[in-house]
Amino acid sequence: MRIGEIVETMSTGFVAESFELNRPPPLGSLVVVRLPAEAGETSSGMDLYAVVTYGQTVGLDPSRRAVRRSTDTVFDQAIYQEHPELNRTLRTEFGATLVGFFADGQLRQHLPSQPPPLHFSVQSASPEEVQRFTDRLHYLRLLLAPYGQVSPLQVLAANVREVYQQRDYDRVWLDTAAREIATLLKNDHEALLTVLYAIDPGESYDRSGGGEPT
Amino acid sequence: MPLELGPISQQVDNMAQTIVDLLPAEEGFLARAQDCLRSADADALRQKLEWQHRQQIRIPWLVATPRLSLSGTVPSPSPPSDFSVVGIDASSIPPDRHSSIRYYVLNVGYALLSYGRQPDAVLEASSQLCFQDEQLYVFPQKRDVPIEGTLLSARMEVESLRVLQKMLRSISRPTVALRDGPLILWTLQNESKEVQHALLHDLLEAMAFLRQTGVPLAGYISYTGSRDVANSLRVWLCQGRPNECERCESDDRDLCLALARIRDRDLFAFLAEGDRSELFGSSSQILEEYGEHRVDFFYMNVGGEIVRVEVPRWVGSDVDLLGFLHAAIYDQCQRSPGFPPYPPALLEAHEQAVITAAERRLVEQMVEQALGQHGQRVVRSAKDDSKRRRGI
Amino acid sequence: MNQKMLGLVVDGTFSGGLTARLNPGTTTEQLRIGNFVVVEGQRNRYFSLISDIHLKATDPRLLADPPRDTSPFIAQTLVGTSTYATVEVRPMLMLEKVDESDVDAVLGERTGPEPVRTIPMHFAELREATELDFATVFGKEGGTNFAMGTPLAMDIPICLKLGRFVERSNGVFGQSGTGKSFLARLIISGVIKTKVAVNLIFDMHDEYSFDKQTEDGHWVKGLRQIFGSKVLIYSLDEEMGRRTGRNVDVTLKIGLNQIEEADIVLLSEELNLRQTAEATIGLLRDAFRGKWLLELLKMTPEDLGDFCQRSGAHPASMAALQRNLKRLQRQEYVVDEASFSALDDMVEALDRGKHVILQFGRHNTVLDYVLVSNLVTRRVRQRYEEKMRRYEETKEVADEPRPLMITIEEAHKFLNPAVARQTTFGTIAREMRKYNVTLLVIDQRPSGIDAEVMSQLGTRVSGKLTEERDIEAVLTGVSNRSALRGALASLDTRQQILIMGHAVPMPIMMRTRQYDESFYRAMGARVGITRDAETDIRDLFGDQ
Repeated sequence: MRIGEIVETMSTGFVAESFELNRPPPLGSLVVVRLPAEAGETSSGMDLYAVVTYGQTVGLDPSRRAVRRSTDTVFDQAIYQEHPELNRTLRTEFGATLVGFFADGQLRQHLPSQPPPLHFSVQSASPEEVQRFTDRLHYLRLLLAPYGQVSPLQVLAANVREVYQQRDYDRVWLDTAAREIATLLKNDHEALLTVLYAIDPGESYDRSGGGEPT
Repeated sequence: MPLELGPISQQVDNMAQTIVDLLPAEEGFLARAQDCLRSADADALRQKLEWQHRQQIRIPWLVATPRLSLSGTVPSPSPPSDFSVVGIDASSIPPDRHSSIRYYVLNVGYALLSYGRQPDAVLEASSQLCFQDEQLYVFPQKRDVPIEGTLLSARMEVESLRVLQKMLRSISRPTVALRDGPLILWTLQNESKEVQHALLHDLLEAMAFLRQTGVPLAGYISYTGSRDVANSLRVWLCQGRPNECERCESDDRDLCLALARIRDRDLFAFLAEGDRSELFGSSSQILEEYGEHRVDFFYMNVGGEIVRVEVPRWVGSDVDLLGFLHAAIYDQCQRSPGFPPYPPALLEAHEQAVITAAERRLVEQMVEQALGQHGQRVVRSAKDDSKRRRGI
Repeated sequence: MNQKMLGLVVDGTFSGGLTARLNPGTTTEQLRIGNFVVVEGQRNRYFSLISDIHLKATDPRLLADPPRDTSPFIAQTLVGTSTYATVEVRPMLMLEKVDESDVDAVLGERTGPEPVRTIPMHFAELREATELDFATVFGKEGGTNFAMGTPLAMDIPICLKLGRFVERSNGVFGQSGTGKSFLARLIISGVIKTKVAVNLIFDMHDEYSFDKQTEDGHWVKGLRQIFGSKVLIYSLDEEMGRRTGRNVDVTLKIGLNQIEEADIVLLSEELNLRQTAEATIGLLRDAFRGKWLLELLKMTPEDLGDFCQRSGAHPASMAALQRNLKRLQRQEYVVDEASFSALDDMVEALDRGKHVILQFGRHNTVLDYVLVSNLVTRRVRQRYEEKMRRYEETKEVADEPRPLMITIEEAHKFLNPAVARQTTFGTIAREMRKYNVTLLVIDQRPSGIDAEVMSQLGTRVSGKLTEERDIEAVLTGVSNRSALRGALASLDTRQQILIMGHAVPMPIMMRTRQYDESFYRAMGARVGITRDAETDIRDLFGDQ
């Protein structure tokens, strides 16, 4: 299912506009850009994988800022009913860091040689794709330099939580990922604890809600 | 850059002081003026004005003829459950006097906002590059009256309504059309009748379409500086001739002179929020050419300011249309997030219409490139060139 | 091969040893200082000992503020990643690897482990030693490979090369209560069984000959009971010889004529001699030659006075000396004149392959022990020297005297720095195996033994030692001292020993084998006790 269209692109990642206002894909989730096969080449196209590193809703015109619109009787979702122009003057965008690609039957977890083309669609990765991609953990390193304003540690933690859920609470995978992160952040204990607290299944993760503190 | 801010700052200070000092006196006169508005006899004033018009006594100011009462107010009805408001605005890149190529760009922006069970919004712009003689001159064959300056503004108004006309072909619910600015094109006053006709033709045609479609049209003027009604009060007070003030010995002379400075928006400050005044007829000469679409106006408190709303007579005399319009404007202002409120439909229309400096340069580049491809060079004037380069 | 991987080598020097980072799954608590481990280099396999263990953290800030009240998830993530351990490992031997798939190479002739000449590269694997590793290094049981015990956590035998063992003098050490006499019994049994040497044991506390009750209350067999007639019992105590059930073959008498000046000097402390004693003895010797002691003890006070006048000896000194030396005469086993034939016969018995245990019985004071041991050994060594000389001339195989191992306890009495030069034992130790005689030195205070003597001890078998200076003493002249220091201090008080030196390819910690029924059987089954002897024993002593 297409969830957005790329409006900025570079070698390390891209920014896409969400089709649904106020609903960017979840932080840390895996998204895919599907590239068709090159004309005349034997390869069968390429799927680029990226992890969502931030979402934001801003005015289409950067010089226009949101103003308070709620009243005692009109607030929250009702505001969008009462001010239909908001659907045309706002846009929700999300940024994603490229973490790998699948081409010629091979999964690679490093930056592709080309950034994704502008205006191409972005899709959510299916559970099977998530499973296959996250069997290997090298991509976690790429998340330490994300595209956007959210702290890389929080993005990393969000990704681990998302994948854990999508892999049906695969505890073995979680433990392996935690140890991999401990190795990556070996020189910064505080940063490591920040991530571990955020992915601890006992403390910060509610299986039913997804992301609600228990 | 060589502006001397030091002395100016001092003078600004003096000015502020002067204004503040005069305030109490001003407030006193305003109160008296409002009393006058309430006490004046509308019928008598109407007759006085008609008589003066028949006598061809020239009144050097615009006066307003009360259609009903002077100080009456009408509260806003509720708008229908499903309705739309379309705002239109226009801007242009005027013809460049310093260029050898003659063209201008018109950009009409409109915002169709629909409310009710299926809220929706359509925000678009319609842009045009005008370079043919029919577009560049009022009389293409003679090419003696170029469309620029005030004529270009008039062109823009006309174009807005033409675009509005096209858009309204596909509406499905009650709709109100608003434009930012007057419907009275008083800027055409000093043009020849031929020019006036030429320009007003399309305008009146569009207005006819709107009338036919049942879409009330209004001009919305925020922070209005009009003094029509205040001037009428002066006529009311005047014992002699309106332009012979040196000989006036009336008791109300000071009030009369004060009214010369009082604006209608202050005069009608007593309006409650959402209420409008009764309709007034304008004495603007250009209205002679409007025919059935002669424009009247009223003042309205939109909640934070008094605005002037101009409407064609066919709206003003239709209770339902006028009530719908009134309700729609008030509803719009209630949806406005800013203060003082401003109709979102007009705000968005403006955003669509605006042409940025960057866009302007882009068009210039496009023109130069296109001509270059066809082997032509664009020549600029020396003045323009020096302004661009600003060499030292 | 299901070896337990412990970690990877991350640092090291040839002279200082290797540092290996433990794998996340390996806890420091499953390793011990002194453990035998193996480092797999690319070309060589390094048989090594663990010499130290360190705790580390990747970020020191973690240690300044360790996680408290963290969830099990976080704690388990940190272990082995942010916090980890390293072990210092000292390669002792290296073995060139052959291609396991090349059958010829595997089955063909290979030289055994050699001294370490290089170190492995980074990330060489560290693993626990397997049975095969022990067998590769220490050899399989059999021949002169004598199983002394097993690794602390495994059930495979670690062998002492007894052939090499008796090539040098050796030591058995350990603080009191560590079972040194059991260790000695094991070793001596091995020597007897493998026939690499004959034994002469000075059994001060009557521990080796017959059965003895241990601290725990059960009975263990003596060497006589295990090896039967191969073992001859000599005794100083006549009464002992008459007791039933404990056959003494010879009762030994010591003649005053056999006692030499050196013996007396060795006993200065015991006999309470003055400093002047030596000088005085010198004068007596000048006068009376070999009979000086006898003459001295026969002297009347007048004789003493005469002598003093004649020789210039100091009367008081003389009197004191005579008084002190009278003690010797009073000993039951001391006679005025004794023939050396008893001792010479003993030497001949040794040469025929018999083993001799000299019991002291009731005469087990330090005085008795030191006097008799030193004296007997001097004669034995002398005889051996003569035999060696003859052999060197004739070069007849039959003339070569059998290698002899002399066992002494309380060795510091004989070998402390003050007297090491004067005792026969000191001489024997320094001579190495010049005359085919070596020592087995047993002591709980190795720091009391002369350093030069200690450095001559080829193999050292040590139980737990806690005194710094004792540990240092045992490690005198041993390479890789720092690695072994920790191991020595960490031994359990019972049944754990460290063996290092000439008779083992590399130092090794082990649990000693039990001195019990299975051991007796093991000793009895191969060699020696014939059915007859066995019946004899049973008849004499009843069922044990």
